[in-house]
Amino acid sequence: MPKSSFIIIEKSYLIRKGLISLIDKIPNTQTIQQIDQTDDLKALKKFDADFVIINSNLIHKELIKTLMEASDTFQLILLSEDNDSVPGLSWVEKIDLNESHNSILKKLNNAVGNKINSQAKTSTPDEISDREADILRNIALGYSNKEIADKLFISTHTVVTHRKNITRKLGIKTVPGLTIYAILNKLINIDDQSKL
Amino acid sequence: MADVIHLNYFSLAVLNRFGIKLGFGDKTVDEVCKQYKVDVDFFLEIVNTFVDKDYFPKKHLQTFPVKLITDYLQKTHNDYHNIKVPEIEYLIEKMIDSCFTQKDNIVLLKKFFNDYKQELQNHTRREEEVVFPYTLAIEKAYNSDTIDKSVIELMETYSIEIFQNEHDNIEEKLFDLKNIIIKYLPQPKDLKLCNKLLHELFSLEQDLNDHARIEEKVLVPKIREMEQIITERFSGEKKNA
Repeated sequence: MPKSSFIIIEKSYLIRKGLISLIDKIPNTQTIQQIDQTDDLKALKKFDADFVIINSNLIHKELIKTLMEASDTFQLILLSEDNDSVPGLSWVEKIDLNESHNSILKKLNNAVGNKINSQAKTSTPDEISDREADILRNIALGYSNKEIADKLFISTHTVVTHRKNITRKLGIKTVPGLTIYAILNKLINIDDQSKL
Repeated sequence: MADVIHLNYFSLAVLNRFGIKLGFGDKTVDEVCKQYKVDVDFFLEIVNTFVDKDYFPKKHLQTFPVKLITDYLQKTHNDYHNIKVPEIEYLIEKMIDSCFTQKDNIVLLKKFFNDYKQELQNHTRREEEVVFPYTLAIEKAYNSDTIDKSVIELMETYSIEIFQNEHDNIEEKLFDLKNIIIKYLPQPKDLKLCNKLLHELFSLEQDLNDHARIEEKVLVPKIREMEQIITERFSGEKKNA
C-alpha cells in the first residue's frame, strides 16, 4: 500500500510543525511538502499528493483556480479559525485551529481511512496482472508504446495506462529498472534482451 | 568545530568538500574557517541545510556570490565521482565475488549502475561546462557598470530557464535500484554487503537531493532575478543613448 502523502499550505511555522507531528502519528503517511506562501503553487502540480491541508486565510482566486484544476488528484482539508466555507471547493475534512488533539487526529484518520477504503474497492493488491506482465515483457524487450500497442492490438493510450499501473505497483519508474525486474522474475531471459 | 561533527556526523562530508581536515583541536568554527580561507557564513548555512532537511533559508542563501555556490556544487560533483560512486561500484563488485547463486542478477545490477554512472557524469559535465560558466558570466555582468552587448547575446542563446527545464530528475534510476534490491532481488548470501550497499545508495540519493535543492531553489532564482535586471538595465541604457 503506497503511503498517503500530505502537502501543508500554512503561514505559521508552529502550526505547520504541529500538523506534521500529528500526521506522523498516523501510520503509512508522510508530509511531502510545506508551503508558507501561496505563490509557491507550482509545487502543487509537480507533487503527487493525496491531501492538501490549507489555511482558509491563504485562499484566494488564483489558488482556487489551481486547486480546481488539480482537484481530482488530491483531496482538500481546510484549516480555519471560524469554520467558514469556501465556495466552489469541497473539503473532506475541516479542522478548527482551536480543536483538541484527539479530535484533529480523528479527522485526519478519517480522511486517510476513506481514501484507503475507496482504493481497496477499485484496485487489486499490488501484484501485476497477466496483461500487465505481457506489457512489461515488451517494455523490457525495448519496444515503444506504439509498437506494443500494435503488437497487442490495443490503443497506445491503454498501453500508457498499463505502464502507469505497473510503475505504481512495482515502485519502479525507469525502463532499465523494469527490465531488471522482468529478468529477475523470469518474464524475459537475459539473452532475449542482449539480442536487441 | 568538533561540536559540529559530534552533533551530526553527516557534516563530515561538508567539511571534506570545503577542504577542512580533521585534527583542529578545540578551535572554533570561525577559527577553522579562517585558517582554510572558507567563508564562515556560507559554511554554516551549507552545513545546516545539509544535516537538517527542514532548514533551508533560501533567501539568505541567495545572497551569497555565485562563485561560492558553484564552487561548492562543483565540489559535490567531485565527491560523487571520486568517492561515492567508486564505493558503490566496489560493493557491487564484492557482492559478485562473494555470491554464487545470484551472480547473474548482481551482474545485472552492476550494468544498471554503470548506465546510471554514465548518466550522472553527463549530468554533472553539462552543469560544469555550460551552466556554471553561464551563471558566472551573468553575475559578472550584473556587477559591472555597463551592460555589454555580448551578455545580451549570451542570454539570447541560453538562459537559466532552459537549465531549469532540462534539469532532469537524476534520482529516479537510483530510486529504482534501491527498490529492486529491497523488494525483488532474491537475497544474496552476504547480507552485510547488501545492507552496506543500500546504505551507500540512500546516502548518495540524499546528497543528490540536497544538491538539486541548492540548484533549483538558490541558484536558479538568483540568476533569474539577475537576468531580469540586466535586461531592464540594458533597455534603459539603450533609451538613454
